[in-house]
Amino acid sequence: MNTDLAPEAVEYGLTARRAIEAAGGDELAQAAERESDRRVGDKVLDDLGAWDLDPRGSADELEAAAALCRAAGWWALPHPVAERLARPRDLDADALVVVAAPGPAGAVDGVDLRWVAVDLDGRRSRATPRPADDPVRTSGFVAALDIAPVDDAGAGDLALGLVLPCWTLLGMLDRAMGLTSAYVQQRHQFGQPLSSFQGVQFQLTDAEVERVGLEELARYALWSLEAGRPDAIEDALALRLAAIEAADVVFRITHQLHGAIGFCDETTLSWLSRASQPLRRLPLGLSATRAALTARLGRQGLAGLFGP
Amino acid sequence: MSEPGDFRDQVRTWCREHVPAGWREAQTGVGEDGFVAFQQAWFRELRDAGWAVPHWPAEWGGGMPVAEQVVLYQELAAHDAPRLVLAFVSIHHAAATLLGAGTDEQRRRHLPAILDGEIWCQGFSEPEAGSDLASLRTTARREGDRYVVNGQKLWASGARHADRCLLLARTDPSAPKHKGISYFLLDMRSPGLDVRPIRNAIGDSHFCEVFLDDVEIPATDLIGPENDGWRIAQKTLSAERGLTMLELAERLAGGFRWLLDDCARPGAGGARPIDDPVVRDRLAAFETELTGVRALCRDLVERSEAGRAGPADASIVKLAYSELLQRLTGFAADVGGLDAHARAARPLSSGWESGAWVVDYVGSWEWTIPGGSSEIQRTIIGERGLGLPREPSVP
Repeated sequence: MNTDLAPEAVEYGLTARRAIEAAGGDELAQAAERESDRRVGDKVLDDLGAWDLDPRGSADELEAAAALCRAAGWWALPHPVAERLARPRDLDADALVVVAAPGPAGAVDGVDLRWVAVDLDGRRSRATPRPADDPVRTSGFVAALDIAPVDDAGAGDLALGLVLPCWTLLGMLDRAMGLTSAYVQQRHQFGQPLSSFQGVQFQLTDAEVERVGLEELARYALWSLEAGRPDAIEDALALRLAAIEAADVVFRITHQLHGAIGFCDETTLSWLSRASQPLRRLPLGLSATRAALTARLGRQGLAGLFGP
Repeated sequence: MSEPGDFRDQVRTWCREHVPAGWREAQTGVGEDGFVAFQQAWFRELRDAGWAVPHWPAEWGGGMPVAEQVVLYQELAAHDAPRLVLAFVSIHHAAATLLGAGTDEQRRRHLPAILDGEIWCQGFSEPEAGSDLASLRTTARREGDRYVVNGQKLWASGARHADRCLLLARTDPSAPKHKGISYFLLDMRSPGLDVRPIRNAIGDSHFCEVFLDDVEIPATDLIGPENDGWRIAQKTLSAERGLTMLELAERLAGGFRWLLDDCARPGAGGARPIDDPVVRDRLAAFETELTGVRALCRDLVERSEAGRAGPADASIVKLAYSELLQRLTGFAADVGGLDAHARAARPLSSGWESGAWVVDYVGSWEWTIPGGSSEIQRTIIGERGLGLPREPSVP
């Protein structure tokens, strides 16, 4: 078993990150909020050949898709990259969103796509966003969905639909750590950089441990999906649980270490942390994800890295 | 502490008659003007009852025994009265500064004015002086009978509505950093002032930046001796603790009761959160912790009154309250699910736990930063409370 991404996928991710930066970088999220339009940055995704990737087609393409999601997360790119990459191939659709009853909802607003929803039991539906009343500032492009059932054949969609957005969230945590690490080294108080205080160092290391742990699990869940393992859905749910927990810790600490400026529009961290909210809350938050995973596992547990 | 029972009845009756019905709805989504007018009206109500500044000395309109002040804050919280948000700095920090360091003339000029609605803000922090406040760079240069001030202040909450500002500025650049700071009572209508609101993560703009460009302050608005501002500021900051923390803890107890109500209502799936054993367990743990924080606050008030407060007591209270507020509002946001996320506006004039839990949760994060971040509080508790050695500084 090798959970490392292929070098080509890693390189593709870095290329994507640079390309998004050249296309506007952080400004893209701000423009999307200003204009209530998530299509900003569309062209760079076309140029990267994002929609030619078939993550279901081969391991290489799946890994490239994950790396692209991570790059999109780094910039809090407003476009629903993970959802479009996960689109079902056997239905005429542009994007896939995982939903949970009651009140299916997702970050589906601000872009005109044909959505398919899949729930945790693998039921697929055509999903139509209801018009959202709230401004993007508070809605985060989240809208309720009207659901028209299609079939029960979505088990294969579910794992992919859960895993790819976790890679987006991982990219956000990468960035939050990078921003904060730079900030505490550059910001001086009491005649020395904040980073020279052990109390600050330890907080940042706690956050880094969470981020690294999430990265390991993200690669494992991707490998589980690639290998077509029977518990790929459980692995995906376990990844989601770890991602929410890691995001809580990382954003909590990176905000605290940024101080008050971290809550202001002037800082990238504030945009990043707001953009992370829908990913962390939908389709299920921390407790509900844990409950869903527990219900699926029963007494059997996960096979894990060293299982039979 | 004995219970002034008659007084409690009196406050309860007053609250039933005076707390404006439906103020929460009216203050949700209200504009700046509506917020200011409402705050001013509520301040007048409390003032006319004799309860706006109970902690001031009797000669200036206060004089309420501490035991009664505790009851007053408990009952105002229990009756969900609006908070005095706009007048907070005026009645606590400005008053403490004037009473502790002002001349009779300065007290006569400002304490009655505060009762008439004069609004104060605080001009302490700067871009390069946050936790390390004493490194502030705003300068005040004496020229005859006035000082000329240049610099920039940050996080001046409510500065847009303020008449006056408690300003710290450096008057002796050659002195050690704590020794060269003076404390001024700045008139916010002075020429050369530019106040700019800063929008924060929940969309509020109560934080402001204040730019001072050759602003003139009459020497009569220097408070205390020149270069003694740091010592006076310590006194001003300590006014944030004690009763103000007790009020906040009582408010949090009120907010916790709404959370219990929320948990007893069926959620989107039809189930009541309160029937979930995990939720019950968490609620019981919060109730226990909340009781502890309320007791800590009350203890701090009593010991401060008796002159027995320890050097780290206020830091312990702030740390305990702020972290509890964050965890409690975070839990409320979680348990509220998507419905809670749809409530994107909270009523102004409310406490930090308005019941719009997601906004409250995001807002609560600022609590571990201002007025001494949690890192500063832990340092104070370690060094002054436990007597541990100072952290070595970088050579």
